[in-house]
Amino acid sequence: MGKKMLLVTRTLLIVACAIFMALPLVSVAAQGKKYEIVTVVKITGIPWFNRMEEGVKKAAKDFGVNAYQVGPSDADPAQQVRIIEDLISKGVDAICVTPNDAKSLEPVFERARKQGIVIITHESPDQKGKDYDIELIDNIKFAQHSWDTLVKYMGPSGQYAVFVGSLTVPLHNLWVDEGLKYAKTKYPGLQLVTERIPCGEDQELAKQKTMELIKAYPNLKGIIGFGSLGPTGAAQALKEKGLTKQIAVVGNVMPGQAAAYLKDGSLKQGILWDPANAAYAMTWVAKQLLDKNKLSDGMTIPSVGKVSLSGDIITADVALDITASNAESLGF
Amino acid sequence: MGSQKLKIRSSLVWSGGTAILFGILVLVLLLMWGLNPTRFLKISNIQSMAFQLPELGLLSFAMMVAMISGGTNLSIISTANLSGIVAALIMQAAQKSGTLAPGIITAYAILAAIAASAIIGLLNGFLIAYIEVPPMLATLGTMIFLNGISVSLTRGYVISGFPEDFLFIGNGLVLGIPMPIILFAAAAALIALLFDYTPYGFELYMLGTNPVATRYAGVNNRKILMKTYLLSGVLCGLAAIIMISRFNSAKSDYGASYLLVTMLAAVLGGVSVYGGSGKVSGIVLSLIILQLLSSGLNLLRANAFFTRVVWGVVLILVMIINRISSYIKDRG
Repeated sequence: MGKKMLLVTRTLLIVACAIFMALPLVSVAAQGKKYEIVTVVKITGIPWFNRMEEGVKKAAKDFGVNAYQVGPSDADPAQQVRIIEDLISKGVDAICVTPNDAKSLEPVFERARKQGIVIITHESPDQKGKDYDIELIDNIKFAQHSWDTLVKYMGPSGQYAVFVGSLTVPLHNLWVDEGLKYAKTKYPGLQLVTERIPCGEDQELAKQKTMELIKAYPNLKGIIGFGSLGPTGAAQALKEKGLTKQIAVVGNVMPGQAAAYLKDGSLKQGILWDPANAAYAMTWVAKQLLDKNKLSDGMTIPSVGKVSLSGDIITADVALDITASNAESLGF
Repeated sequence: MGSQKLKIRSSLVWSGGTAILFGILVLVLLLMWGLNPTRFLKISNIQSMAFQLPELGLLSFAMMVAMISGGTNLSIISTANLSGIVAALIMQAAQKSGTLAPGIITAYAILAAIAASAIIGLLNGFLIAYIEVPPMLATLGTMIFLNGISVSLTRGYVISGFPEDFLFIGNGLVLGIPMPIILFAAAAALIALLFDYTPYGFELYMLGTNPVATRYAGVNNRKILMKTYLLSGVLCGLAAIIMISRFNSAKSDYGASYLLVTMLAAVLGGVSVYGGSGKVSGIVLSLIILQLLSSGLNLLRANAFFTRVVWGVVLILVMIINRISSYIKDRG
């Protein structure tokens, strides 16, 4: 019996050696001198990043680079680090990352830069170890635009409420801070009924919170939701209660998911940016850096438009309004 | 009993299961090398794999020891994260006071992580050995409990910024060999020695095989269980040190996706889910196989979910081969 095992192992080893020796003959190193620019996302297989991948593919075609997108199967910072480590060892030219966790990427970014790999980030302006960060919205303008949109549908005075993803999501809370500041001077008639409610990443919870709001504040006229599931949850509640005419809901939504609500009026308007543009812009900037072109304030990124540059942060202002008429044609 | 003893003592030596695993390893190696002839197994590629394997490897050992005793440890990830957070908080406080040398801060941090993980291990052991809670339920409880503590200690945020000396543990090279893999190899050797040459090791396998018979043989089962979960906890602490050093930060949800992967590694490495069998060499081989597959497929820019598919297929294949080979053994 032991002999049999030995025999199996030995056969395997011999076969292995044979393949090993034959391999170099097969492998022909015929690689073009195209830049390899890789986009690393938080998690693969969700609509937001599927849409982002379309931007990567478009960039690959338009700029003549070898650009593609990879990402972990779970939104786990540890997995993202592993993927970037493998990319470093592969020797790619540039890595464009939407971080799960900015801090956990610092050591691995440092290793990448030691090898001369260009690092571009998105949604992580304070990231250490990057070459440039790209933001597709100007946070202050985005906040102001959100309040303007609310007023467009509910009028310049009345009671309203605000949803955020959670109290620890920096971006959402920044928007609310800025928006409230703006509303104080521009729309003094608006009255926030309660503190920001953390339910924007959970549709069921957003629906339940909306039900409670309707009960507690019968005069409520509007809701702004940050976090991509808040507004749809609110719209669902309004539909059930038959209050879609009385209360206006606006905020972050995925167009495909929100289309039905936008059409029946339970959701008035979505406000977002297009992740495909983010990936397209990251790849473009990476290519400019590899080509040793200088970036400048006021330069134009194809399909994104004019951007401003301050320090190592590139900002465009391309917030996207999602309405009943364009929700389905946006394709994400 | 005699043959059982023989089996146990062979954990450093070749056996049927190990030979099959080794054969698969060679095949995977050749396949990946054949698919990435220019990039796979370059020095930088091997280094990156050696940086990645240890954190998952140590966690898999932590799972393995619990499984050999006939139990399981669902709290390994939350143990590691809480130990990491404790170490991070201590480093943060020590750096703020500014009176201690970085080397001493590092030593304190290591001690803190090990102490925290040991206490947690003893808690698990106590619940399982003395309160006689089934291991799966006891560790499910501590998993949720520990995770709650971690989140409330950090409020979900990241703790970051450690001294250079500490960062060396996860990011440094000694003669071109990554520090984490050196620690991993040392831990593997120690566990193998513990299993093969101490009464504890022998009694652990006995306990896993048949707890009732073990008790009648005059072994204190409770003591063995306490030691086992203590060891499992301390291994998590070691994994935590490497993980937070690699990320230069600690957080409550790092590695959250690793829990089932450690079980996969253990089962692939020949650890029986019924307890009583499993060898260090088997786990090491299975970890190398999983790492080769994941890095190789990353180089091929395969989808992360495809890597999971391949891992699953390999596990199923090994199960089938093991079954067939034991069938042949029984007949011959």
